[in-house]
Amino acid sequence: MSCGAGFPFLQGWRKMMSETRYKLHWITAIIEVLKTAKEAILPIIVLVFANGLNDVGSGKWYLDYLSFIIFGVLMIMFFITGIIKWKRFEYWFEDNELRIEYGLFIKKKRYIPFDRIQSLDYTEGILHRPFKLIKVKVETAGSSSPKKAEAELTAITKAAANRIEAEIAMAKVGKKIVLQAEDGEQTEEVRMAEKIPSKSVFKMTSKGLLILATTSGGIGIILSGVGVFLSQFAEMIPFEWMYEEVSGFIKFGLLVVAIVVFLGFVFVWGISVAMTFLAYYGFSVSLESEDIVITRGLLEKKRMTVPLRRVQSVRIIENPFRQLFGYASVVIDSAGGGGAEGAKISLFPLVKKADISGPLKEIFPDLILEEPMGKLPARGKHFFYRIDFLWMIPVIGVITYFFYPYGLLSLLIVPVIILFGLWQHKSAAYGISGNQLTIRFRNFSLQTAFLMKKRIQSMEMKQNHFHKRKRVATLAAGIKSGMSIFNAQVHHMEESEAERILSWFEPSLKNQEREQG
Amino acid sequence: MRAQPVNRISEKGLKVWRLYGIMQTGLLLLVLLGGGVLAYIFEAPRWFYIVAAAVVIVFAYFFIYLFPKVRWLRWRYEVRESEIELQHGIFIVKRTLIPMVRVQHVDTAQGPILRRYNLGEITISTAATNHTIPALVMEEADELRSRISVLARVAEDDV
Repeated sequence: MSCGAGFPFLQGWRKMMSETRYKLHWITAIIEVLKTAKEAILPIIVLVFANGLNDVGSGKWYLDYLSFIIFGVLMIMFFITGIIKWKRFEYWFEDNELRIEYGLFIKKKRYIPFDRIQSLDYTEGILHRPFKLIKVKVETAGSSSPKKAEAELTAITKAAANRIEAEIAMAKVGKKIVLQAEDGEQTEEVRMAEKIPSKSVFKMTSKGLLILATTSGGIGIILSGVGVFLSQFAEMIPFEWMYEEVSGFIKFGLLVVAIVVFLGFVFVWGISVAMTFLAYYGFSVSLESEDIVITRGLLEKKRMTVPLRRVQSVRIIENPFRQLFGYASVVIDSAGGGGAEGAKISLFPLVKKADISGPLKEIFPDLILEEPMGKLPARGKHFFYRIDFLWMIPVIGVITYFFYPYGLLSLLIVPVIILFGLWQHKSAAYGISGNQLTIRFRNFSLQTAFLMKKRIQSMEMKQNHFHKRKRVATLAAGIKSGMSIFNAQVHHMEESEAERILSWFEPSLKNQEREQG
Repeated sequence: MRAQPVNRISEKGLKVWRLYGIMQTGLLLLVLLGGGVLAYIFEAPRWFYIVAAAVVIVFAYFFIYLFPKVRWLRWRYEVRESEIELQHGIFIVKRTLIPMVRVQHVDTAQGPILRRYNLGEITISTAATNHTIPALVMEEADELRSRISVLARVAEDDV
């Protein structure tokens, strides 16, 4: 069965339904080792520091160098398991299925029918580049685990990836090509014939990329990351020694401290800019028959495929800062794919708001990009901030009590919250056009969600006692997004309008209309 | 005004919720009794006992009497040919509409207490959301489950 595993090009395609087993490229072993090492690096560092830094020799060499010995043994173990994992991994095509066999101690097999394969996502890392390899992630309709793709081929040649694509395409078309050819040349021809010309829809300009990088919200994440990192090392920093240095440092004046803090922020921001730049470099979207193909990345090239029929909603997100300059971003929710990355996909990371409709229309011809006209009634205004008094009053009370004169400054939070609530009230809107529901709401960024009726899983109208008295209601439309749900909500809207939207969604009312008309 | 869904859940459901309330109150009572013993040992002021007793009584009123009653009165459902409509919630009344086309599967479940009362709960799952009707007579739950699964199979997407 496992004949010719090392020579797929010489022996592959001899028989169409052949069970030629393919192996991954040997670089897989190294990638595997690095991946494990990356996860283990922090504990190892702690271990080495904790052990290796005391100078008290116990006289026995193996005790003195214990940490290094452990480190060395671990590295060797990682290396061996990496190689075994690579040796054991095999994939082949049989009975219109992609079959994979893998496992370190326990041999696991996974069979994925071709019809269930939704897309192949390619990633080209730094280690892949010199060997012209790619990582292939196989996404299926209902990935069982939200974290992992259904199958991952860590490193294969581009030709091998094309072969998988061709196999799937052939199975989907349902034709069986009998190949009499004995050599590998034939595969190339088949592949060329199967390729469908793609149409480029959106390309990020270098100016757009620069603006995206400099205004990226990644700062917060990195800052918190630094915080976590520091807290990890807090115990190892020699504070006593530092104390003298620092007290002298403070004498330097507050200005210097402020400058250092500021420089720190600039540094962190610089990292975030660089990371965004690398991740989104060369961002482009193209259409390939029924799929949206997104490619991006400088050091690590990624190519993601989203089948059009799996798209659940289109959302335009306008961050207030970017809104000032007329920029917005567009994301889509996909039903397939696992986890956070698979669910919410950045379609246009940054685009002039005026330029959205062209490319978006090209991808989704049915989409109606009208501004939602329905606004919220004034009598529901106070619901946007009144509930906040529940936490504001105790917080202000406590702060004022403990820091008496200056604590009163906390009262300033009240107008801020009220103004923010009024802003949310003013921003919210909704509209129905045909089979599409448009919902606009603001958390901090303004979001406009375009939902097709057939993509809404369920709809809910919520009212508490006070809502009822004021005849307002909150309406929520649930959309599938990856493994979880995205709720598009209009808060505190006109009650009758919420009921109208609910009726719009109600299938039996529609049927009645049809029978009467 | 939108008409409410027509069906109510079983009246025995109210009994079960009261039972849950009694169990929760019992648990609270145990905790506070422990606190009372400690208070006696450390000679706590008298108001401590009064507050503790008041807490238990108020808790019992809400969780044994009021909340189950409001919850039961509020709970309504209706299974029509092409959609399911639910209404529930104590403080916030939620009206949920689930088109039959979106229903992926229906489950019934029965815990030990529900079994004593011959009740069952039914969970309707769409691709993204789950909706549970909490207390139905078991035969009714079974019947509803098969009815929904038939309707869901028949329903066709026309949008």
